[in-house]
Amino acid sequence: MIERRFHRDLYSTASVDGAVKVFEGFARFELVDDGDYRVVRISAKRPERERKVALELGNYALGLTRKGGIS
Amino acid sequence: MSTQTLDGFPKDLAVGDLAEGSVTLTVDAAVYPLEAIYGAAYIFIDRCFVLLDRPKAGSVAVTLTSKKGPADAEALRRMAGEFANELLTQAWRQKIIEENRVILETVTTQALAGATARAAGAAEPSLDDLASFDFTEEAFDDPLGIAMSWEEKYKKKTPTEAASEATVEGGGAEAKP
Amino acid sequence: MLAGIEKPSVTFPAFFRVREVSGSFVVTNAQGDWVILTAPEFKAFGEGTVERGTGLWDRLKAANLIRAEFDVPAAVARLKKRMKFLDNGPNLHILVVTLRCNETCVYCHASRADMTAVETDMSAETAEKSVELALGSSSPFITVEFQGGEPLVNFSVVKHAIEYGQRRAKEIGKSIEFTMVSNLALMDEEKLAFLLDHKVQICTSIDGPEHLHDKQRKLIGSSAFKAAVHWIKRINQAYVERGLDPSLYHVEALLTTTREALSRGREIVDTYEALGCKAMFLRPIDPFGFVEKTAHRVEYPREEYLQFYRDTTDYIIELNKQGKQVLERYAAIFMSKILNGEDPNFLDIRSPSGAGISAIAYNYDGLVFAGDEARMMHETGDDTFLLGKVGELTYDTMMSHPTIRALVLGSNLNGRPDCVNCAYNPYCGVDGVHTYKTQGSISGRMRESTVSAVHKGIMDYLFEKIREGDPETMQVFRRWTINRSRDHFVQDPV
Repeated sequence: MIERRFHRDLYSTASVDGAVKVFEGFARFELVDDGDYRVVRISAKRPERERKVALELGNYALGLTRKGGIS
Repeated sequence: MSTQTLDGFPKDLAVGDLAEGSVTLTVDAAVYPLEAIYGAAYIFIDRCFVLLDRPKAGSVAVTLTSKKGPADAEALRRMAGEFANELLTQAWRQKIIEENRVILETVTTQALAGATARAAGAAEPSLDDLASFDFTEEAFDDPLGIAMSWEEKYKKKTPTEAASEATVEGGGAEAKP
Repeated sequence: MLAGIEKPSVTFPAFFRVREVSGSFVVTNAQGDWVILTAPEFKAFGEGTVERGTGLWDRLKAANLIRAEFDVPAAVARLKKRMKFLDNGPNLHILVVTLRCNETCVYCHASRADMTAVETDMSAETAEKSVELALGSSSPFITVEFQGGEPLVNFSVVKHAIEYGQRRAKEIGKSIEFTMVSNLALMDEEKLAFLLDHKVQICTSIDGPEHLHDKQRKLIGSSAFKAAVHWIKRINQAYVERGLDPSLYHVEALLTTTREALSRGREIVDTYEALGCKAMFLRPIDPFGFVEKTAHRVEYPREEYLQFYRDTTDYIIELNKQGKQVLERYAAIFMSKILNGEDPNFLDIRSPSGAGISAIAYNYDGLVFAGDEARMMHETGDDTFLLGKVGELTYDTMMSHPTIRALVLGSNLNGRPDCVNCAYNPYCGVDGVHTYKTQGSISGRMRESTVSAVHKGIMDYLFEKIREGDPETMQVFRRWTINRSRDHFVQDPV
C-alpha cells in the first residue's frame, strides 16, 4: 500500500477525488481526511502498479486543480 | 529516500534523490504566488510526476520525479534549474500581465475582431445557421438601463397602470403618469 | 550603472528601452522609433542633460524620445502602421495534400510518409471543404499554399483544389493566390503547363551545393539536386517565354541550415545565385518532425549559427555591391520594420504571431490546425493546437476557438518576461507553437529561447551595420525592404 497526501491549500478535494475516480479501474483506493490533508491510500496486486498509479494520480489531481481552482 | 544536495542550490531550498530520479524544491510562497508555482509545475507534467506539499506555513514543496526513472546528479541539477527559471518567469509574467493588461486586451480584441469581421461578399448566414441561433437570449447587457422604459427604470407606473389603478380606487382625476 | 549614469532623470526621457550593442546603445520606444547613441550621449539622455538645439537633441526629438516633446499623434500613427496586420483574418491557408514523399530529408519537419501510404492523400472532397473554409476568411485576399510530403504526389487533388478555388473566389469576390512548395523531382511538362496556366507560384528547397543537398535529401536512384535544378531552370525559362520579368518571376528556394551548412555559407550563396534565386533565407533548423530523432546529426549551438549568419550575410552584401541581386530574408524582414516602420507580415516574426490568427493548416484528413507548426505537432502525437475538422467547423467557430485566443495573447511580446524590456520588442516575434514545443508553454522563457537568441543576434548585427553607416551597405538594405508585388500570381475576382 502506498499513501499519497494532498494538502488542501494546494489541491481541491474535488480534484483529488476526481483523479481517484479516473484511476479506480487500476487499483483499490481508500480516501481519508487527516488534518489539512486529503489522504489517498492506494493498493494494487503489484508494487510497480501501486507506484505508477500513485505517481500518475498526483499529475491528474494537479491538472484538475488547475482547471477547477481551489475551493 | 536518500537525498543529496544539488550543485549550486542551497540545501534548504533544493535536494535530489538519484534513485528516485527526483528533486524537491522548497519555494517561499511570499516570493512566488501560488499561480506561478502551479504554472511552473504544470510545465513539467509531460516528463515528470509532480507533487506539491506544504511543509510549513508560507512554504510550498515541489517534488519533480523524472518519468525516466533514476537519474544522475547533473540531470537532477538541470531539472531543478529549469524549474527555478520557469517559476521566476511565471511569477514575473503575472505581474507583467497585470501592468500591461490594457494593451494586451486591446491587441487581442483587435486581432480577433479583424479575424471574425465578415468580409465583403462573404456568404450570408444560411437557414441552418439561423435555425441554430438562440433568439431568446438577451441581445446585450444593459448596465445603464438604456433599453429600459422610464417607468421600469424608476419603478414608476405606466399611464395605463396608473389609470387602471385610479379606476379601481376611484381617484382617476388625480392619477399621475 | 549603465553608461556611468549617476542621477537618472525621470522627467527627460520618454518611455524607452535600451540594449548595449558593441559599445553603442540602441534606444527604442514602443512604436519602434530608434536612435543609436554613444556612451556619453546615452549618459546625457539618461541624466536629462541634453542641451536643446544640439544635434543630439534633434535626433532624440525626431525619434520621439523626449518626454516634454512627445508627439502623441505621430506615435499613434506609427503604431497603427505597424499593427495593420490585425485588421484582417487568416490570409495564409496551407493545404497538406499528402504526407507521401519521394525524398527523405534528414530534418524533415513534415513527418513525411512512404510512397505507399496512400491513406495520407487528401481527397478532392476534403480539399474543397478546406478551400471553402479558407475563403470564409475576413481577409480580402488569401494565399492557398500546397505542401506535403510532396504535393506533386497528389497532383490530381492539387489541380482540383486550384480549379475549385478559382471558381469560388470569383463567385464570392475574393482575391486568391496559389503557391506550391515542392522538391520538383516529380515535375513534368504536363504538370508544369497546368501550374503555369493557373498562375501557381512555385517554391522549392535547395540546401546548398550538390554534394550537401544530396547528402541531406535522399532521392532513390537519382540526384535530388539535379532534379530540382533542372526544373528550376525550366520553370524560369517558361516565365520568360510567357513574357514575365525574370528579375521578379523565378523559382525561389528555401534553405534549411544544418550543422554541415555552417561551414559552407559562401558555397551555398554561390549556388543560389547561380540558379537565379534572388532571395535566401538563412533559417536555422526548427524543432519539429524528424529533428527530434536526428538532432544529434543536424543541430548546433546558436552562437555558431549566428557567426554563420554574419559571415554569410556579409558575403551576400558584397555580392550586391558587385551588382548581383540577392537578398537575405531575415535582414529584409527586420530592416523593413527598423528602417520603414512597416511590418512585412512574416508570420513567425510578429507580435502577436500569425499562428491561427493569420495562418491555418488543413491536414490531408481534414483536421484543421492553428498553422503549419501546429499541424506538425499533431504528426508527432500532440493535438494541443487542433481546431477541428473541415465540414464541422465554420469560419466563425474556428476563429473564436479558445486556442486561437490563447495563441494571440500568449505570443504578444508585451506579456512576456524579457521581451517586455527588450529594445527589439517593436521588431520581433517568437511563435507560440514553437515555444510550446521547446519550452512547454505558449509564452515560454525567452531568455532560454533559441529563436529569441537568433533574433537578437541578427538585429545586433543589423544595428551594427546601421551604426557603421556605410552608404553602399545601407543602400543594399534599403533595396531589400522594397516589396515588389508579383501581381501575375494574384487572381482578382474581376
